[in-house]
Amino acid sequence: MAQGTGAIVARPRPPGLPPILRRVVGGLAMPLGSVVFAFVVGGLIVAATGGNPFSAYAGLICGGFGIGCTQGENPALQISNTIVFLTPLIATGVAVALPFRAGLFNIGAEGQLLAGSMACTAIGIKFSTLPTPILLPMVLVGGMVAGALWAGVAGVLKATVGAHEVVTTIMMNYVAQWLLRYLIIGGPLQLASGTSKSLPIGPGARLATLLPSSNSLIVFGLPASVYRVHAGLFVAIAAAAVFAFLLWRTTLGYEIRAVGQSQRAARYAGVSVRRTIIVTMLIAGAFSGLAGAVQIAGVDHNLTDKYFSDTTGFDAIAVALLGLGSAVGIVLASILFGALHAGGSVMQSDAGISSNLVLVLQALILFSIAANFLGAMRSLIPGLRRPPGAPPPGSPAVALMTEAAAPPPEGTPVK
Amino acid sequence: MGQTRLRLFGLVAVALMLAAACGSSGPSTPAKQYKIGLVTDIGGLNDKSFNHLAYVGLQKAITDFNVKGDVKESKTGDEYIPNLTNFASTGYDLVIGVGFLMAEAVGTVSGQFPNIHFAIIDGAGTDAQGNDLKHANVESLYFREQDAGAMVGVISGMLEKQGKLKNNKGVISAVGGVSIPPVNHYIAGYKWAATMEDPGIKVLVGYSNDFTDPAKCKGIAVPQIAGGSDVVFQVAGGCGLGALQAAGQGGVKSIGVDADQKDADPSVIASALKKVDVATYTAIKAVVNSQFAGGALTFDIQNGGAGYAIDNFSLPADIQAEVTKVQGEIAAGTLTPPADIPA
Amino acid sequence: MTALSDILHLLVTANLWQATLTAAVLLLLPALGGVISERSGVVNIAMEGMMLTGAFFGVVADLAWHNPWLATGVAILAGGLMALVHGVVSIRFRADQIVSGIAINIFAAGMTVFLVNRIYGIQDVGHANQNELLPNFNVPGLDQIPFLGQVVFQQNVVVYAALILLVGVHIVLFRTRLGLRIRAVGEHPQAADTAGINVYLIRYGAVITSGLLSGLAGAFLAIGVSNTFVPNMTDGRGYIALAAMIFGKWTPFGAFVACMIFGLGQAIYDNNSIIHVSPYLLSMLPYLLTLVVLAGLVGRSSPPAADGIPYVPGSE
Repeated sequence: MAQGTGAIVARPRPPGLPPILRRVVGGLAMPLGSVVFAFVVGGLIVAATGGNPFSAYAGLICGGFGIGCTQGENPALQISNTIVFLTPLIATGVAVALPFRAGLFNIGAEGQLLAGSMACTAIGIKFSTLPTPILLPMVLVGGMVAGALWAGVAGVLKATVGAHEVVTTIMMNYVAQWLLRYLIIGGPLQLASGTSKSLPIGPGARLATLLPSSNSLIVFGLPASVYRVHAGLFVAIAAAAVFAFLLWRTTLGYEIRAVGQSQRAARYAGVSVRRTIIVTMLIAGAFSGLAGAVQIAGVDHNLTDKYFSDTTGFDAIAVALLGLGSAVGIVLASILFGALHAGGSVMQSDAGISSNLVLVLQALILFSIAANFLGAMRSLIPGLRRPPGAPPPGSPAVALMTEAAAPPPEGTPVK
Repeated sequence: MGQTRLRLFGLVAVALMLAAACGSSGPSTPAKQYKIGLVTDIGGLNDKSFNHLAYVGLQKAITDFNVKGDVKESKTGDEYIPNLTNFASTGYDLVIGVGFLMAEAVGTVSGQFPNIHFAIIDGAGTDAQGNDLKHANVESLYFREQDAGAMVGVISGMLEKQGKLKNNKGVISAVGGVSIPPVNHYIAGYKWAATMEDPGIKVLVGYSNDFTDPAKCKGIAVPQIAGGSDVVFQVAGGCGLGALQAAGQGGVKSIGVDADQKDADPSVIASALKKVDVATYTAIKAVVNSQFAGGALTFDIQNGGAGYAIDNFSLPADIQAEVTKVQGEIAAGTLTPPADIPA
Repeated sequence: MTALSDILHLLVTANLWQATLTAAVLLLLPALGGVISERSGVVNIAMEGMMLTGAFFGVVADLAWHNPWLATGVAILAGGLMALVHGVVSIRFRADQIVSGIAINIFAAGMTVFLVNRIYGIQDVGHANQNELLPNFNVPGLDQIPFLGQVVFQQNVVVYAALILLVGVHIVLFRTRLGLRIRAVGEHPQAADTAGINVYLIRYGAVITSGLLSGLAGAFLAIGVSNTFVPNMTDGRGYIALAAMIFGKWTPFGAFVACMIFGLGQAIYDNNSIIHVSPYLLSMLPYLLTLVVLAGLVGRSSPPAADGIPYVPGSE
């Protein structure tokens, strides 16, 4: 695309920054700007309703990162809680980001995660006597298969009859929730009559915690068992790496991106669009199901009614977008959202602000990314205006789905 | 846990509650300010049910004692452990978990912090199998909801038998939230007592699977009323308010739950009480007076922890007499409402 | 199978269908909004958030002013404002409309509880008295018709409004010039623009209308069916309305049929005091049914051609 034919306003380039750093800074600018925007507006909302935004955010930062805690909160504990919250977000973030690349919108990550949890629990209970080297892979693979099937339904419907995946995945979410209730209230996995939780999985199905789960060993001033960080973190990071590899270094990844860019062009190039859509959803579901299985194996060790109110799959949408669909971005965004989740309750007890403010912040981040407020604001500031003829900045979702062959506008990360 | 130990703690509870009610000792002035942490379950503080009541108990303690109270509302179930741990690790003198959904979480965290006092409403600190771990630093605050249910069951059964209610088909009903023990205890007592008073009575029981959305419980109540129910007993927290509303619109009577719900709807004639606020207050007071003891406290009709209130209604003398008589028999142990819903 | 015969017996009672219509209307209003919005080319999955916002502000207004009509007006406005945010973000800033819709839903969920905490403290929100609610109204004469009279003419005023709106939306969309313009903007905005139609105005209008309708549904839920606000009380109805809209191929009457099916599922389930089926498996039915319909009957159900694509003038 011709840059600035007849352009008079030359965009000032930061002098002397090495290109890679410029790309990183450019890449981070938009997500960071969105987060800042959200916190500023959130702070205004708190102030407008009579609260103190500074103590609210101090509480969030304390609870999320263990920094600046005023009530004697243990930093190691806060960080540990954040890590536990962020672990499932990585794989589910991938489960949303991968279909984005194919032009699909996977709102069903939550249902796929539940499917994975249910499969993991069922296998972990049924084969509870098997030892770890056999049972653990079984439950994790079982979770992946269940999640894949869950997403596969939506994928097949989309590929064959063109059913909109937003609706089919939302339906599958509800089916998963009701199936969960059926299983643990009066159903085959129930612990005991009248309870609403499942039997525990066998010890062989557990993912070990990083620190020994002992009440007597004292680490950082607290018994080691309070630190619930578990090996599932490594599984999650591995999943992110697999995602990046898959997308950029395999034929399938190329096909996925081609379909996302233009189904017609992909078809001309010999790519089977139908097959790609189905495979993409299957793989995405597998990632989500894996996240669910890891949660059971690493943290809960049983299915409980807490999953009725679980929001991981929806947080994952924000994570995928904030992370601009890249593996590194997703990990970073997961850290932020994990920290917000952990920070909310500290904010509530320390500053008296309802932890639901965290939801408001999340929504503001989403708005900002979706609308690319930062880009819009840039265009209002003289000197930073784009030269005429340059392509308008698209929303990141659009950018994720349709990578232009032309050099991307500044601000979109190039892999 | 033997009967005698239960009775002993029941006596302690009575003593403490009498002291609390009379306020005779007045606020003691310890030099130390006690920190009390309250962790709600996912119902949240505005659940119009026991989370709210626990908070009421905490507020009263803040007024009466030198106590600082903080609340963490759990938005999702995976916050139970972090919330409890946060309070325990920052040196709170008492960490209260509200609701039996937290049983396993309390079991885990109380094991990690043996020097911190814990209290849990409606449950015990358990392991993954649901077995009570019996940690010495955990005080379980149980309620015999069936006692309260029985009281209102007597009233309902007798009213229906006397044939002066609107539908007069020998039918009453209950709307449950989810089929879990605290809910089913209420319904069990209700059905048992109503059947005792009116052997031919039919008690319809439906579940909304929801504790928050009033429209859902209204939806359950409406067919019950159409099916002839003259008294609708709500056992569904905030959702159940819709059932009360349906009763009002259907011209029949209703019964509230947990707290006195006389203002919820004009059709409410009674409420089955579960004095979670008293229990919370009792637990806090024990800590303030350095009298905390692990184990189980049971709040029932005998020690006034479960009870009933008459609302918007003047109870005929004969029914009142019967209620008082049954109450006495349950307290004395000659009658025992079941914990599980009779067939 | 006694459960099946129980259900069959139930299906012939007027009570069941009366409850079905009420439940259906709670879905129909947002679904109509969705139809209008998407016909103009703006994807709208924010009905859930708009309805919840309407419910919340409706209750706040009713508790303050004790007047259900005024409160309903406030609720409608609140829904419209939320829709305006979605509109601005989607149309002016050309955001991805699905993301914006999700953001609205999360925002509404968090904001309403946050405000409950700020306005009412940690107290009860409180509830409106019987005479402060949107009233039921039996249409004189018509309500005596056997069966149909109870089902259709012994309902809340909002139900009647919804049925009138159903017909109205259909007529406007398919029989008026305005409707033609809306649909043109949704199918081929560039051509519409060339023909002199103000694409942005039409789209903003359509999105805001969807917010107004969702706000009305929220008012009905909070101060018609219930009498208070409870966090997340909309409970996914906005998403089901979305499914109903697609089910109904983006037409008002099609969506209505779908809403009736979902309402029927809810009404049958509500009878679980009398019929004994596993409540959880029963609850799955409406969703499975939607999937079946999407797979089989509906076939290639296609939205308006320019649905979801931000309009950029001259970018054909």
